[in-house]
Amino acid sequence: MDRPLDDVVVIDLTRLFCTSLGAAFLGDFGARVVRLEPLPQEAARTAAGWNHEADLIHRNKESLALDVRSGQGRALLHELVAKADVLLTDWSVPELAALGIDHAGASALRADIVFGRLSGFGPQGPDSGLPPIDELAAARTGMMPILPQPGQPPVYTGAGAMHSTAMLAFGVVTALLHRAASGEGQAVDVSLFGANMYGAALDIQAFLAIGKGDRLLNPISRLDVSNPMSGALYRSADGRWVTLTMPDTDRWWPVFSAAVGIAADDARFDTHDKRTESRRLELIHALEAAFATRPGGDWRRVFMEKQLSADVIERFDYPAADPQARANRYILELEHPSFGTVKSLGFPVFLSEGTARLDRLAPCIGQHTSQVLRDLLGYSEDAIHACRSAGVVA
Amino acid sequence: MARALEGIRVLDLTVWFQGPVSAQYLADFGAEVIKIERPQGGDQARGVRSIKSLEIGDWNQYFLVINRNKKSVAIDLKTEGGREIMYRLVAESDVFLSNLAPSMLDAWGLSYDRLKAIRPDIIYATNTGYGRLGDVSKPSFDMTVQALTGIMARLGEPGEPPIYLGMGSGDAYGGIMSALGIVLALYQRRRTGRGQCLDASLYGAQLFLAAPFLQSYLAGKESVSLQQSRKQVDNPLWNLYPTAGKWVFLCEPNEDARWAALCRALGGTDLAADARFADADGRRRHNEALIEAIEQRTLGLGHAELMAAFGREGLAASPVNNLADVIRDEQAWRNGYFMKTWCEEVQREVDVRGLPVTLSRTPGEIRCLGPQLGQDTELVMMELLGYEWDEIEAMKARGAIP
Repeated sequence: MDRPLDDVVVIDLTRLFCTSLGAAFLGDFGARVVRLEPLPQEAARTAAGWNHEADLIHRNKESLALDVRSGQGRALLHELVAKADVLLTDWSVPELAALGIDHAGASALRADIVFGRLSGFGPQGPDSGLPPIDELAAARTGMMPILPQPGQPPVYTGAGAMHSTAMLAFGVVTALLHRAASGEGQAVDVSLFGANMYGAALDIQAFLAIGKGDRLLNPISRLDVSNPMSGALYRSADGRWVTLTMPDTDRWWPVFSAAVGIAADDARFDTHDKRTESRRLELIHALEAAFATRPGGDWRRVFMEKQLSADVIERFDYPAADPQARANRYILELEHPSFGTVKSLGFPVFLSEGTARLDRLAPCIGQHTSQVLRDLLGYSEDAIHACRSAGVVA
Repeated sequence: MARALEGIRVLDLTVWFQGPVSAQYLADFGAEVIKIERPQGGDQARGVRSIKSLEIGDWNQYFLVINRNKKSVAIDLKTEGGREIMYRLVAESDVFLSNLAPSMLDAWGLSYDRLKAIRPDIIYATNTGYGRLGDVSKPSFDMTVQALTGIMARLGEPGEPPIYLGMGSGDAYGGIMSALGIVLALYQRRRTGRGQCLDASLYGAQLFLAAPFLQSYLAGKESVSLQQSRKQVDNPLWNLYPTAGKWVFLCEPNEDARWAALCRALGGTDLAADARFADADGRRRHNEALIEAIEQRTLGLGHAELMAAFGREGLAASPVNNLADVIRDEQAWRNGYFMKTWCEEVQREVDVRGLPVTLSRTPGEIRCLGPQLGQDTELVMMELLGYEWDEIEAMKARGAIP
């Protein structure tokens, strides 16, 4: 089957989950992704059992183990970069420069290369050299203090790093489109800081525009939510939480009020203004009491029946067993050669003519060394043997 | 300056956030994005007046920022004339993008099969709530879909309510996934000449917001689905600590050398001498006691003082800033994550979210903020579609356009 990136070779020089997954997305959609594993390998700290993380973030990749400390290894690295359409990395600029494959170095080896790099805080500015640690980036973004209930510690979600994964893949493919039209390569930069900022799009933009507002600087209690019918959280009878998103309350009120046992014409709540302004707190308390009368499962049935924009807040067991997640290949069931039938995250985007693949799970370190040297660099068996004997590859 | 997506024309039939922000990424990099809106009121996001009960101010930053660099064409797709205009637009376009319900698109004669018949190589992108397959049919908004993914339920201290990742968090993620799908399809079309349909759903995207944890859960580690207290994390050196001022996030591996540096920074010889914490295993086993011991010391310091001490020892840490800090953060401005741009509505420069993906040769740009409703209707009909003025007048008379 044809896939979007069938003609693209990616060199994957990544350490972090988010960047490795970004390279995997390119591989899912057809790119030949060669993961470079620097020798000597650190002592393996693999836990017993299925390496579920590797089988997600390194799926569809080939592995080449290379000792870049030697001159011969460095030369081989440069030969590989010269054959690459894309270099994807989260290494620091000094590390890359020392190997001669920072953006300038890589471009000298391959003039039209697309050089995708993830950093902590962006390529410019005083903090461009800080390490790519998502927690540090999230802490700078301003959102952590306002996510929890008042009085609670700040919350780190990890979502910013996942945002960077998609941004990096988007940036690289956009640069490939430009290259196809113009013949020019370029650098693509995404940072954990920028990704965290975009993940928190609306609050940040609101504060940027308004420039003040306690409700954007401090947590808002769920019992003081701005719209009792939107963004609200209520506890049901069995302790499971429900949430509502019905911002235009006029549209939903007739059906919603009946569902929660409030008369639609109850004079306390019969206009949007009363519901969200003058009687807001009263409505929150009425809903708090109403939702506490029945368990979460009941509420889900009611929401479905009435087609309300509301749902029960679930744990991971829900998507893990959800036929909808399976039908759309968001979660896969796959046969693992050693561990039998296992479940894994699948593919977030569906393409009808370029459907994402799962040709193989994560490679062993150096599993494809010979294959890559032969296919990509045209090495003979003798030359490959010589490299192995010299300890340049494994 | 060269633009990466120069020459790509996108029909953007989207409302609220996910779809518009997806098209925004394409517009920022030079695609010609034509936003199609209903004549009465347009995209509902034009009506946003407050955020978290705060007056939105004199310009609608919710709508104008994610619809920047776009044209607006107002068409009543419920009329026959409106559909005729739409089909002529489709014939001239590379991408059709919508986050309306598929049933609504079908009812308006805008299914993939219908549009493919007009423009065989069209890239037809939808942003459904729960995916195109399966039988779930219910309203989908950012937070109600986020609720199903499990990410909310695992955040916060035990016993506290679940935590929403922030306004627009799921839509923003669905938006970038959709943009990724579209550029992939464009790249494939360049080689094969064929279009296709694609879908980036809110659910599919948001399941990846917690990918490391959900993947771990799928492999059998159930504890990752539950709330975990910061007082009980395995590695006390990688944790949040309160000070007399802001909280501080310390991010260090549980290694002896890092522990020694932390002890020096906290000025506690007693900590360094405590046998319970002498090696990595001890620090893990006595994590609760250690977290408390560190916290006792950090609480006595201001965050600046603590950060200075951490800095002297080369410890990786950051104060937990608020939004007032981030809008002044030099790093954000230097990298173009924030930018200044002209706002027609208020006739002054305003501060907006900039470009989080930086391309060195074809950087994105903000040419203008979101369009006025229907401002380009006549121009696009004349220049792109070749309508004569009397035909446009006739379309107005038929109610197809305002």
